Amino acid sequence: MNTNTGIVTMHEKDMKRVQATQKVVKVFVKIALYTFLCIMALIVLFPFYWMIISSLKTLEEYKLAIPTFFPKQIMWSNYVRAFDTANLGRLFLNTMYVGIVSTLLSLVITVLTAFAFARLEFKGKDLLFGALLATMMIPGELFTITNYITVVKFGWYQTFTVLIVPFLVSIFYIYLLRQNFMQIPEELYLAAKVDGTSDIKYLWKVMIPLAMPSLISITILKMMGAWNSYIWPRLVANDDAHKMITNGLRNAFTDATGQADFPLQMAAVALVSAPLFLVFIFLRKYIMKGVSRSGIKG
Amino acid sequence: MTGTKLTLKDKIIGFFAEKMPWFKKYVIDTFPKWKAWIYLSPALVLLLIFTAWPIVNTVRIAFLEGYGSLAATGGAKFSFGFQNFIDVVEYHAFITCLKNTVLLCVLTVPISTFLALLIAVCLNSIKFMQRFLQTIFFLPYVTNSIAIGMVFAAMFNVVGNFYQGRPPVIITPGIVNNVIQFFGGEIVNWMNAGSEYWANMFVMVVYIVWNALPFKILVLLGGLQGINKQYYDAAKVDGTSRVRTFGRITVPLLSPMLAYVIITGFIGGFKEYSSIVGIFGEDMGPAGGAGRLNTMVGYIYDAIESEAWGTASAAALILFGIILVVTALNLWVSKKKVHY
Amino acid sequence: MKKLVAALLLAVMVFSFVLTSCGGTTTTTTTETTTAAPSTTEGKGPELDPNKPVDIEDFTMPEGGFDTTKPVTITFYHTMGENLRTVLDSYIVEFNKLYPNITIKHEQVGGYDDVRDQISKEIPAGLQPNIAYCYPDHVALYNIAKAVQTLDTLIGSTVTVTRADGTTETIGFTEAQLNDFIPGYYEEGKQFGDDKMYSLPFSKSTEVLYYNKTFFDKHNLKVPTTWDEMEETMQKIVEIDPMAIPLGYDSESNWFITMCEQLGSDYTSATGEHFLFDNETNRNFVKRFREWYQKGYVTTQEILGSYTSSLFTTTDVIKSYMSIGSSAGATHQRPAKIDGAYPFEVGIAPIPQINPDKPKVISQGPSVTILKDDNPQEVLASWLFIKFLTTSTDFQAEFSMASGYVPVLKSVGEHPIYKAEFLDKANGGEYIAALSAKVCLEQADAYYTSPAFNGSSKARTQVGSLLTACLVNSDGGNVDAFIKKEFEKAIQECKN
Repeated sequence: MNTNTGIVTMHEKDMKRVQATQKVVKVFVKIALYTFLCIMALIVLFPFYWMIISSLKTLEEYKLAIPTFFPKQIMWSNYVRAFDTANLGRLFLNTMYVGIVSTLLSLVITVLTAFAFARLEFKGKDLLFGALLATMMIPGELFTITNYITVVKFGWYQTFTVLIVPFLVSIFYIYLLRQNFMQIPEELYLAAKVDGTSDIKYLWKVMIPLAMPSLISITILKMMGAWNSYIWPRLVANDDAHKMITNGLRNAFTDATGQADFPLQMAAVALVSAPLFLVFIFLRKYIMKGVSRSGIKG
Repeated sequence: MTGTKLTLKDKIIGFFAEKMPWFKKYVIDTFPKWKAWIYLSPALVLLLIFTAWPIVNTVRIAFLEGYGSLAATGGAKFSFGFQNFIDVVEYHAFITCLKNTVLLCVLTVPISTFLALLIAVCLNSIKFMQRFLQTIFFLPYVTNSIAIGMVFAAMFNVVGNFYQGRPPVIITPGIVNNVIQFFGGEIVNWMNAGSEYWANMFVMVVYIVWNALPFKILVLLGGLQGINKQYYDAAKVDGTSRVRTFGRITVPLLSPMLAYVIITGFIGGFKEYSSIVGIFGEDMGPAGGAGRLNTMVGYIYDAIESEAWGTASAAALILFGIILVVTALNLWVSKKKVHY
Repeated sequence: MKKLVAALLLAVMVFSFVLTSCGGTTTTTTTETTTAAPSTTEGKGPELDPNKPVDIEDFTMPEGGFDTTKPVTITFYHTMGENLRTVLDSYIVEFNKLYPNITIKHEQVGGYDDVRDQISKEIPAGLQPNIAYCYPDHVALYNIAKAVQTLDTLIGSTVTVTRADGTTETIGFTEAQLNDFIPGYYEEGKQFGDDKMYSLPFSKSTEVLYYNKTFFDKHNLKVPTTWDEMEETMQKIVEIDPMAIPLGYDSESNWFITMCEQLGSDYTSATGEHFLFDNETNRNFVKRFREWYQKGYVTTQEILGSYTSSLFTTTDVIKSYMSIGSSAGATHQRPAKIDGAYPFEVGIAPIPQINPDKPKVISQGPSVTILKDDNPQEVLASWLFIKFLTTSTDFQAEFSMASGYVPVLKSVGEHPIYKAEFLDKANGGEYIAALSAKVCLEQADAYYTSPAFNGSSKARTQVGSLLTACLVNSDGGNVDAFIKKEFEKAIQECKN
């Protein structure tokens, strides 16, 4: 008995010691984890911080050999000047217009197509869907050359149409929405058919509300696409009346005759980035959900 | 149709069905078979014009030697052959473009994947502030690559002049150089006139990795959160070490997500263009090194702008081929390593 | 996620299949075509020899000449800023008094390159304007599509047209009109190898040397007239102000091409082998400029990251005391007023030369060209309009005063208002544009133009990048080898 209890106490002691060391290790690991994550987060955030404080400095302060980490004199006027210099008002309007119109049209087309692929039966459905998915592989540059010829032939050069129509159909969005539609039980559809509900009505009353999260994701991604598009607009609509935000931003400060005014540039960049950030703050969930399945930026 | 309440639509259809039996036979009765095409038609029309036709036409143009739109307007005839492809491959800067593209891929994809995995694993093992940190790590995604490129350019930019023969005259070293100076290093000419290729490349790698992190972290974290806790509990019972657990459980179970981010990373990497424009401008290089950082996509756009559409098409096909091969290779490797 | 990966895999398989089958068929077709048509084997690319002048049809005068009864609308692309558009508008009103049936729509399409890019995109779709601001290489580009209207028939036409005010006008140029053009400018329209006239000069400029007159006077410096003197002056400036970069040269391309012209060395040729700039003489002057740059004597627009006028006019510690830039940009070379007065006075002189007895300065500034149109009435209306603008002494004088560009007519120098209100008031402050115009007019004989051909603009860009690269980059220990390599690279790039 004696020995036995002795062994037990030994065990208990060991256990306690092990538990204690485990606790210490756990705390250390936690500290290390948080330190690492915080450092990485700071690195990730730094460009944003630098953009904002630089945008508020005077050019003289910006040029100091040893930089200040908070502006001595806050220059809100940089934002006003940047807005004027880069003609941001016009650029915002153009981009919003293209973004909204193309998102609406794109949604209609995507819903119709995804519905056909999810609920309707027709010959060659799988083959067609496979072929469409396959086109996702092809780099966009391959389309650009011919699309460019096509839109010029159509007389769309330097119009809003050229910025909207060629990209209305996105296979990825169709894929995303089809998957979502498929998850809605088919019984609902069959029941609706028995009731004599038309397809369109069913789509409108049942499927669209149920697929709302996907539709919101698509909307946001599409808007972000308009916001970030650069190559195609530069090629086909780079005039002042149709210029999109990214093109305008890039060129506004290279065309200028004066010295490179970094605070001004940074103010413009901050202004251009702000809307996306606002959207992100309010619709974080949908964006992250949509993006995690896309892999395609914008 | 039971006679309770006939809508106008039903009446019209009924009228036609009665008067024209063929209409009933070939249109109304078969309607369920082809109505899907009505839904598909808007998408299909657009796809035919802006996706299918371009594929066919690009292949066609790629084989029309020296095709250009102005020359075609002027009535020039183009012979059929492989000359465009030869021109692309023989173009002295093609190697530069290819090298830059490949180098950016092989540098940024592993670095960003590794960092993203590390961050995702760390995020997954904490509870407090997880959401908050995750949001921060996602922020770079919601930016405009040209706009934030300008911020990176400002961070690396030096206001002043570098000379080979005499010490540089520097007014503002830029924040990155400030940090280097703080740790006792020398100022580096990252991207101004006279800068070295490796320095330019370094700036690009930093920027692209920064830009690529959010998506990868998001996907990998999603994958990690999907792994059943039971696996870990079992490992704990067995007393398996953390590192071993990571190597034996986490990575294999995460492998589909890893394959996914690596494949999309490579595809994106081969299409790198606007991030370079964001930092170096449309000259694709620092002063004195215009075109030095040009990529395959940049090359295609240069060719389009200079009326060499034949070579542009050929180059686009070559790029497609490369992406295809690399993706196939990736899939082949992942087929062996990925555990579904 | 699994499904997407699987879909990608499927896609790869589908496409490798499509690709292999495609490859197979195309190979067979090629062999067929090559055997069937052996004549096409020699031509690389389109059967369009860029060395040969394009075979372009002249304008055929329609029956009855210009129809003043039917309304006709013509479009005009240019790069004029707001103040110049006002001048243009007032002359359109004058023109419409003579030809009320012609409506002129004009538009500023960014800068010269934007005009070129837009028109070359519009030509294939038939959307091009009737009249465009142009540089010789733009004309060469449009000529690939045979889209430019040659002007010879129009210039020589003796058909008359009755204008709305009752007077008659010969469609062609009169002897007096023709002789009024400054010959050097007029000849620019003919440099396409076939002696045909493709454009009319509109307004001209060249490069001039702006210097800080206050500083030069104070330190008793002599304004350099040769490049050797330039080197001495720069040396002296650095001794006085060690932080200075004495000279800023805006356009690297112009610098290179002008040096070729001054030295008499080869640059490009419109016929035969196009790109001839890789030679000993050129490598030597590039090497010399590299030494200057490495000593901190000189900078350029590319290197500086903005127009060198910003360095010239700045009040920062690092500044330049000389700046070579376009004569049309004189107002940008004037420092901003401090307390109501200019901090220093600007002097303007011709650019340095190799041989001051045979000066060479680049001819810049727009010409106007007419693009072909199926409707001969539109072509005639366009012609009448550009003829009106280029032969009107009043317009040329007013445009010059508003823009700082040099007029293309000799008679403008005698224009009373132009003389009294502009040239005679020339100074380095308020009337700096006049001063620059004056300096330009004095060297009207020195203007040169370079050959224009399909690819000439590429050569221009390449020599600019070449010069920049040679100035700034590390030479890896062997300057000559480094420069030689850069030249070879530029030539390769041109030929592609």
